[in-house]
Amino acid sequence: MINKDKLDRVLKKVDRPARYIGMEINSVKKDFKDAKVKFVFSYPDIYEVGMSHLGLHILYNLINDREDYLCERVFCPWTDMEKAMREEKLPLYSLESKEEIINFDFLGFTLQYEMSYTNILNMLDLAHIPFLSKDRDEDFPLIIGGGPCAFNPEPLADFFDLFLIGEGEERTLDIIDIYKEHREKGYDKDEFLKTISRLEGVYVPKFYTTDYNEDGTIKSMTAIEGAPSIVKKNRVRDIENMYYHEKMIIPYIETVHDRVVFELFRGCTRGCRFCQAGMIYRPIRERSPQKLKEIAAKIVENTGYENISLSSLSSCDYSQLEFLIKDLVNEFEEKKVGVTLPSLRLDSFSIDILKELEKVRKSGLTFAPEAGSQRLRDVINKGVDEEDLIKAVSYAFKEGWSKIKLYFMIGLPTETDNDLIGIKELSYLVKELFFNRPKEEIRGSFKLTSSASCFVPKAFTPFQWIGQDSIEEFKRKIMLVKDSIKDRKITFNYHNPEVSYMEAIFARGDRRLSATLIRAFEKGCKFDGWGEHFKFETWLEALAETDIDGDFYALRKRELDEKLPWDFIDCGVSKKYLIKEYKRAIIGELTDDCRDNCNVCGIDNCEMRGVKSEI
Amino acid sequence: MKFRIKFNKKNYLKYISHLDLMRLFERTFNRIDAPIEYSQGFNPKPKISIASPLSLGIESEEEWMDIELLEKVDEKDFIKNVNSILPSDIQILETEYIEDNTPIAALINWSVYEIYFLLLEDKKKIELENIIEDWLKQEEILIERYRKKGRNKILVTENIIELMKDIELKSLKNNEVVLKGKLKIGESGTLRPRDFINAFIADNNLNIDIDSISFKRISQII
Repeated sequence: MINKDKLDRVLKKVDRPARYIGMEINSVKKDFKDAKVKFVFSYPDIYEVGMSHLGLHILYNLINDREDYLCERVFCPWTDMEKAMREEKLPLYSLESKEEIINFDFLGFTLQYEMSYTNILNMLDLAHIPFLSKDRDEDFPLIIGGGPCAFNPEPLADFFDLFLIGEGEERTLDIIDIYKEHREKGYDKDEFLKTISRLEGVYVPKFYTTDYNEDGTIKSMTAIEGAPSIVKKNRVRDIENMYYHEKMIIPYIETVHDRVVFELFRGCTRGCRFCQAGMIYRPIRERSPQKLKEIAAKIVENTGYENISLSSLSSCDYSQLEFLIKDLVNEFEEKKVGVTLPSLRLDSFSIDILKELEKVRKSGLTFAPEAGSQRLRDVINKGVDEEDLIKAVSYAFKEGWSKIKLYFMIGLPTETDNDLIGIKELSYLVKELFFNRPKEEIRGSFKLTSSASCFVPKAFTPFQWIGQDSIEEFKRKIMLVKDSIKDRKITFNYHNPEVSYMEAIFARGDRRLSATLIRAFEKGCKFDGWGEHFKFETWLEALAETDIDGDFYALRKRELDEKLPWDFIDCGVSKKYLIKEYKRAIIGELTDDCRDNCNVCGIDNCEMRGVKSEI
Repeated sequence: MKFRIKFNKKNYLKYISHLDLMRLFERTFNRIDAPIEYSQGFNPKPKISIASPLSLGIESEEEWMDIELLEKVDEKDFIKNVNSILPSDIQILETEYIEDNTPIAALINWSVYEIYFLLLEDKKKIELENIIEDWLKQEEILIERYRKKGRNKILVTENIIELMKDIELKSLKNNEVVLKGKLKIGESGTLRPRDFINAFIADNNLNIDIDSISFKRISQII
């Protein structure tokens, strides 16, 4: 256990000390010494962000439900806390037992976005754990990674002992079980890693070597020591009977999402071509309404939360949504518990459902057309047209909403200036729809926010081969849109293209980038996802000092036959399908929703073929 | 009907703020379905009022809170149910139904604090006691602090001698000092323990470890 007096001294100096104390309702405190296997779960960002992550609540309870095992938490200390900890020489510790991280068997990081990578290094440094897997013997925790970014784990390959590719809940327990056996009969790190490298969905980077061509592309990746040459992703087969969390830790401080959260379904059938989640989490798997009600009742009872949020990639696609919502609202109305649905889409958008949900409060509505023109929306296979938007927005206005948000991406493949002007035109159209109504019908004050992010091509999408726009081009395009919007009621926001450039480097990077990450950390990069901490100049220096050409990773268009760093992973969707989708994208051809028509993406045993939403 | 609750706040939970504490009680009362009265209006809030909110980082053995109930609850059950949900470092100690309508905050005039710090110089017990005695003998002890005036903050000088009483050295061992005393709280003036100790240290030129200072509220009295 760490020195509590030191901790007390540190906590007195920092902002929001409740981030660092644990002790929340529903947190689990076991006897540290008694646990056979000790796992510490980390979301490499601050407490408020990490505690809003659904995966944490699932894994935390999953492991702690096993008597022998213990799972605790650690987040990235904010800069004031980090400074105070370093001054007092206080090592990174877990929230529950206040135990040094180094004393755990596993340190698991969830990899949600690339710009959190330097935080991982910062946390290892604060924990006095060597960065490189090869420098860590049996006395150090095994560093394990999972989450969406684990689908291209290569930039982190030197740091992690193993990755879980895909849905981790079932495999995590298998790994801990095997670890326990190995510990009981004399543990050898290499032996253990060798054993688990045979499991489906486990990637042990040290058992793979990479050779490069002279032009810097990958020549070959070779599995050694009997590791499989292709790593298949983990996939939960029986979602209905899969483990679910009955409790959620209730933070003292307000977090990003302070409510009951659980999954409505996994996967998505839409096939938007830019969307990594839509590809890697296939096939779609729904929970039954009965199951969802059972889960909701349990978590509400155990938390006292006043809001339930059903999470999925596209809520309106749930096949019995109307039935479920009516049921849930009826069930919880008396307890003053509200129900919300994120990720509504404007095509299958049903305002009636929203009316059911938002009986009291009319918050803003968000739509994501993603692109300004129909041509470009077809390129990305966003099966939405202007007619859909007009219908949905008009109806929303009629029902009393007056604040709308529109989300777009800039830098999509084949984009022209005309497509960009479409962002302005769509924004103006929405404004006209609000005001071009009889005066007596206009209620509330109109406000439209159009936001544009800079497109980052991701692994395992049909756009994994394309080159990202340069920073200069992004800036030109942003200014083009910004200058075209001259209306006080419309606000145009945009993301920093420099962040998106760095994100693109790591999203499709390879093992050579680990040196750059270390260099960037040493030069002070951390919390890169937080605007005020992102230091682009420092990143450019780190790239230069480690001989890495950022443009090679971010801007270069790949040939279809190039070996990609993540090709050794089988995400279920075939490369053949991604190539087909890429080609269709360029000519603007739409692909059906899988519920309408199977597109032969390569996923085996897909149960949701032809199951349509009733609304 | 008014229901008065005495509770504590200890150890690490001194690091949760007043607002966090209110949210914790709100949720906990909801979970046991306590018949709490809600305010009227657009955003109904349960009627919970805490007598004198603690600053972040201060422990307390005695906090007071009034809640409005729509119907009587069994006090023993209430305490048992609430405490089973609350963390072990925040627990209800006593409850009482109150006929008098005076809000709890208006009843309290003094807070009793223990203040701990580490001396970086050797001092005998008698020396420290003399320092305290001489310090308190003065006609005025002036501190500077920021006061809100409208939208601005202005620096004011204030005499705090009337805002403290019964200041004593509770213990001195291995240079660890514990002072005990009553500091004024409420409408007739408030002296925050942090301002008190800063003045005491500065006026007497004591060499102490600033980061070691910690406070504990022992009780609140009329």
